[in-house]
Amino acid sequence: MKKIPHKNILLFKSCLVNVEYPGVESSTRYIFDKMGVEYRVDPDQSCCTGLGYYYDLFDQLSTTALAVRNFYLARRSGHENITTLCSTCYAIMKKTIKLLNSNENARQEVNDILKKAGLSHMQYQAGDLSSEHNIFHVVEVFHSLKEKISKEIKLDLSGIKIASHHACHYCKVYPEDSITPSRNPMVLDELSSSCGAQVVDWYDFKKATCGAGFSQRFANRDLSLSATADKLLALEGEADLLLHMCPNCQMQLDRYQPVLEKELGRKLNLTHLNIAQLMALAMGADPYKIAGIQTHSVPLEGLLEKIKNKSPVE
Amino acid sequence: MIKKDPKGDTDSLLEDVRNDYRAFPEMGIKRCLQCGLCTSNCPAARHSDYDPREMVKMVRDNNPEIMNNPDIWNCFYCYTCGSNCPANNSPCIVNQILRQKILLKGENNARIYEFLAYGYSYLDFGVGSIPSDFFDGLVADFGQKYVELKINLEDIRHDLGLEDYNLKGEALEEVKSILSSSGFTSRLEEFKRCHES
Amino acid sequence: MSTTKSKLEKNHPLTKEEDTKNPEKVGVFLCRCGGNISHTVDMAKLKDSIQADFVGEFENLCSLNCRRHIREEIIDKELDRVVIAACSPITHLKTFQNYADLLNPYMVEMVNIREQCSWVHSDSAKATKKAIELTQSGVEKVKKAQALDKIIRQTEKSAAVFGGGISGITAALSLANQGVKTCIIEKNPTIGGNMVKIGKVFSPEKLAEECSLCILNPIINEVINHKNIRILTKTNLLRAGRRSTHFKIILEKQTGFVHEDLCISCGRCVEVCPVDVPDEWNQKMTTRKAIYKPFAQAVPDVYNIDLENCIRCGKCEKVCTVGAIDFNLKSEIIPLEAGNVVIATGHESFDLNKRPEYGYQRFDDVISQMDLARILGVNGPTQGELLKISDGKRPERVVMVQCTGSRDEKDDGKRYCSKVCCMVALKHASIIRERFPETEVVICYTDMRTVGMYENYLRYVQDKDIKLIRGRPGEVTKKDDKLVVRVEDTLERKPLEIETDMVVLSEAIEPSPGTMRIAQKFNVGLSQDLFIKEKHSKIKPVNTDMERVFVCGTAQGPKDITDSVSQANAAAAKVSEQIKSGTEAEPPVAVIKTSQCNLCGKCMDICGFKAVYRDEENMAIDPMACRGCGACAGQCPQEAIEIKGINDLELYAQIRGLLSDKKEGEIRILAFLDNVGYTAADAIGNNRLCYPEAIRIIKIPSINRIMPHHLMYAFLHGADGVLMAEYPDECMLEAHKAKIKELSESVKNQGIPSDRLRFYKAYAPHYRGLAQQFTRFFEDITREI
Ligand code: SF4
Ligand code: SF4
Ligand code: SF4
Ligand code: SF4
Ligand code: SF4
Repeated sequence: MKKIPHKNILLFKSCLVNVEYPGVESSTRYIFDKMGVEYRVDPDQSCCTGLGYYYDLFDQLSTTALAVRNFYLARRSGHENITTLCSTCYAIMKKTIKLLNSNENARQEVNDILKKAGLSHMQYQAGDLSSEHNIFHVVEVFHSLKEKISKEIKLDLSGIKIASHHACHYCKVYPEDSITPSRNPMVLDELSSSCGAQVVDWYDFKKATCGAGFSQRFANRDLSLSATADKLLALEGEADLLLHMCPNCQMQLDRYQPVLEKELGRKLNLTHLNIAQLMALAMGADPYKIAGIQTHSVPLEGLLEKIKNKSPVE
Repeated sequence: MIKKDPKGDTDSLLEDVRNDYRAFPEMGIKRCLQCGLCTSNCPAARHSDYDPREMVKMVRDNNPEIMNNPDIWNCFYCYTCGSNCPANNSPCIVNQILRQKILLKGENNARIYEFLAYGYSYLDFGVGSIPSDFFDGLVADFGQKYVELKINLEDIRHDLGLEDYNLKGEALEEVKSILSSSGFTSRLEEFKRCHES
Repeated sequence: MSTTKSKLEKNHPLTKEEDTKNPEKVGVFLCRCGGNISHTVDMAKLKDSIQADFVGEFENLCSLNCRRHIREEIIDKELDRVVIAACSPITHLKTFQNYADLLNPYMVEMVNIREQCSWVHSDSAKATKKAIELTQSGVEKVKKAQALDKIIRQTEKSAAVFGGGISGITAALSLANQGVKTCIIEKNPTIGGNMVKIGKVFSPEKLAEECSLCILNPIINEVINHKNIRILTKTNLLRAGRRSTHFKIILEKQTGFVHEDLCISCGRCVEVCPVDVPDEWNQKMTTRKAIYKPFAQAVPDVYNIDLENCIRCGKCEKVCTVGAIDFNLKSEIIPLEAGNVVIATGHESFDLNKRPEYGYQRFDDVISQMDLARILGVNGPTQGELLKISDGKRPERVVMVQCTGSRDEKDDGKRYCSKVCCMVALKHASIIRERFPETEVVICYTDMRTVGMYENYLRYVQDKDIKLIRGRPGEVTKKDDKLVVRVEDTLERKPLEIETDMVVLSEAIEPSPGTMRIAQKFNVGLSQDLFIKEKHSKIKPVNTDMERVFVCGTAQGPKDITDSVSQANAAAAKVSEQIKSGTEAEPPVAVIKTSQCNLCGKCMDICGFKAVYRDEENMAIDPMACRGCGACAGQCPQEAIEIKGINDLELYAQIRGLLSDKKEGEIRILAFLDNVGYTAADAIGNNRLCYPEAIRIIKIPSINRIMPHHLMYAFLHGADGVLMAEYPDECMLEAHKAKIKELSESVKNQGIPSDRLRFYKAYAPHYRGLAQQFTRFFEDITREI
């Protein structure tokens, strides 16, 4: 099992967390602070380009060159353990490092771009970073702290059934790197069970995409929605809450669930939270001031009510 | 009958795909068993006419027809196909490379046009954004609450203790200058020109 | 070259000629070869020019008639050594050693004036001159030859067979029938292996399924009663040590708290044992007790306590009327000496939890082919009725998923085809369609591999109406009460969801951890896929890279029962060949002078033939495994290794001879050829291609035999170029490369132009290449001089 760092972490900002679910970032920081994880958020960090890359808009070299700039920031501040809130950022940066370390031509081209941009000091040498030892997803940090976190849980979650959606770009782009078997991802399930919830560890389409499909959501709405429906319908009646680890998936399933409900003419009775939000809430964070549930499409108040009504520990 | 390509392997679609930076060195496209495992799990195959197995076969056969196949635009880039592929191929990556090739030929530009806004946002703020052209569609689906979220975003972020995320000053200049050196800025213009003409 | 030469003279210790006085008498027999030689070579001149104690000329030296002449001359002229100037030693050395059997075989030297002279040179005068020099060099060489005693190694007439499955049993029985004392070592409480579990076996000839236990039982009975066979069950290998004629093996026999000789197999104990344990024999679909016998016909026919699960309540002990149960029994250490080892440790099934998308763990009715075999077995959990585990009902449809874990490049997959699962699926489909015709069978396959005669079986099963879908399923899921298999029908270009009641996964075959442990203890090499690696897949399929260790069955790779049995018989034949004929090793072989050796182990590291081993206190070389290549001698810092059969003095004499009488301006090139290179050179002659007379060939076991000082000696004595041609053994590639480097550097250090030493990879069929090489080398040097 790979070693997960608890310090020198660059908490990598995500474009979709920024604008759709900012509570994911504040919750993560809340947990990191409580757990004594040493991290930094860099105001100069640019976004990973992942959405653009998968809209077919960004070319590999531009994406790579921008990533190298971010790597430079990480190295400059001594925070080389880049830890992402989003699965796309995670895979994009792994891809970048693998390409740079193994392909001399690509490395040369990227360094030339930086030179041309007057940023020669940012150039990348083979082996400067390692895809395995420098790129992490926050769930991996949570997972490595799960015993410690479980001691801080203030809410009784035993009454709710939690299913998980493991982001494709965490499990399937580099399957060999995920910390639970990629063919049977369990990171989120293990985390929710350490919070004391009932875990729905398998359902049909558990490993299937959320349906966002990058450009599909916009350009091919019906196709995208059919894939989303596969997942939501498989969960109907199976779970109270679906856990996320990627803002794009969360957006797809949370925001489109009401759309689908309208088409179906019935409620699906499923809510959505990012694992960081759930854990922060369970540790006692304020739903609006920390977890930011006000930005969700499917209201969470009912679920929180249910949890609160159970007698909390302490 | 399989006709022998008189030009040999030069400008071979298959080799172009294998050598693309998006590909990875061990990618087993030549070793594809045509087993269909990718298709059996593929959301696009489930809900449309797309067949990743067949797409791989056509690329492997250097069949240029694949470039005109509208179904390849249905792929979700979910990587499900490659994650279990017994030949260690990745139809997902093959598709990404195909689409790049098509767009660079100046074809199918309508498909990229509406996404250009993401690129311009990146040049302006160092952060991509949901392409503005789609915003109305989102509001139609997500309702007024979504508009309010966008309006109140700064306040919400403030309440959550989060800083501004847009790049400014020197950082923004660096990003712009990288994108200009990498050819991205002119790529955007080129896509725009192709579509508008 | 003259400056080089004087420089060499300064540096080289061997500038003084060795004492050539030799009291022994040498006779030379020249062969005309029915004109093949005499048409080109002036025989009279040749005869007159040779200096020896006797020179005779004959028409056909290999004819039986000449056998008499050779014997007579040896006696008459009191010859001690003999040179045969005729054809190739590769084809005829044995014959002439035999004709001259009054002498030690190593006192007979052959000079090849046909393939290396009359057949490849057309100019009679030049050919004659070369023939004279070749023959004279042979005379000089044979004077230095050492008589060698036969190296006798009597491999002990015994064998240890690891694994008591069909392969091990077959090999053991064959050996025992040939009078070899054989011990079968099995880790489980019974012999019989996987075959007894699978119930029915397929038979392509009869187009029917036969009962495996019925086939196996008579063989097992024979094994139990055989006076030459000892069976050790519940036994593991602890240590294995190599000696010159045998292996010293230390085994541990686990106790089952039962005196095997007392137990009468009445089974009373089982009735009182309170502990239920999932029963491996039924793939854990049923339970057994902590005291158990794997199945009714188990051998040995005794009960055993499974120590892990027994709670030591002692109930069984109380009911056993013969007092066979004894909780004080301890595991036993058993030493065993065996001349030969057969590894027949079989395979295991792929862990289906590595393919969780198929839901083996998740859904009761997703089972493996082995599970299905047990279900269909009359002695299985459902007494042979096809029933679902979940509800005991008959499935309406069964979907089989082929290649589960096989032909899969992903990290935890098996890259190979498991070879049997297509046939296993068909066999089960056939049984189901025959006995439960209302159940439909669908097989999802990637390729249907029914090779050879098995194609008949495929047709036979297809006639029973099965549905074949070409596609590898991506997942198995559940909707309502039905299992659903997601697969693309690739021939229809259509993703399907097949509803079914039962899914059967055709699990891959994989090497067992036990096999790997044994391989490691015997220092036997494994293949990339971690099966035991055979020495050569074509010509040595049951040898391992370790002398006297053989392999058969699925320990070597996936195969069916038919192939396992043939391989087991082949392994037994090889063991008995080893015992019967493996008594005499042919030089050249390496020998360690123990007194000089400092036990550094360098020789052991370099020898790819694994001939060198550490005996109790000394280093030793197994002459049966040694090829005499000389690599070890080159490594030894103590000069403790001697290569018998091609000693330094012989080499020097031959080099000197081949370079003698060199005229001003004449060019001489020495070609050191290994067996393959030499064969190619013979083929040049057979095909009457020409090359320059300057080429002089020396036959060596391998270029590893050649040390820098040999090279220097050659250059010093007038060689203008040296060519080394070899077809290196795969296991010696590293040594080969290192040798090339060493020799090239030594030449460089002596200031000899680097292109005067050339290396060439010889291929027997590509003799033209070698001929070209000869000619080109000659031309290059001519141009330079
Ligand atoms: S790409 Fe992979 S999964 Fe798809 S058909 Fe080829 S081998 Fe099968
Ligand atoms: S990446 Fe594309 S081809 Fe692959 S499974 Fe997802 S949608 Fe299908
Ligand atoms: S025998 Fe058939 S099922 Fe088994 S691995 Fe080979 S092709 Fe696949
Ligand atoms: S290195 Fe060659 S000569 Fe030495 S023991 Fe091994 S095979 Fe024999
Ligand atoms: S290399 Fe020489 S000294 Fe070293 S162990 Fe072998 S024989 Fe002995």
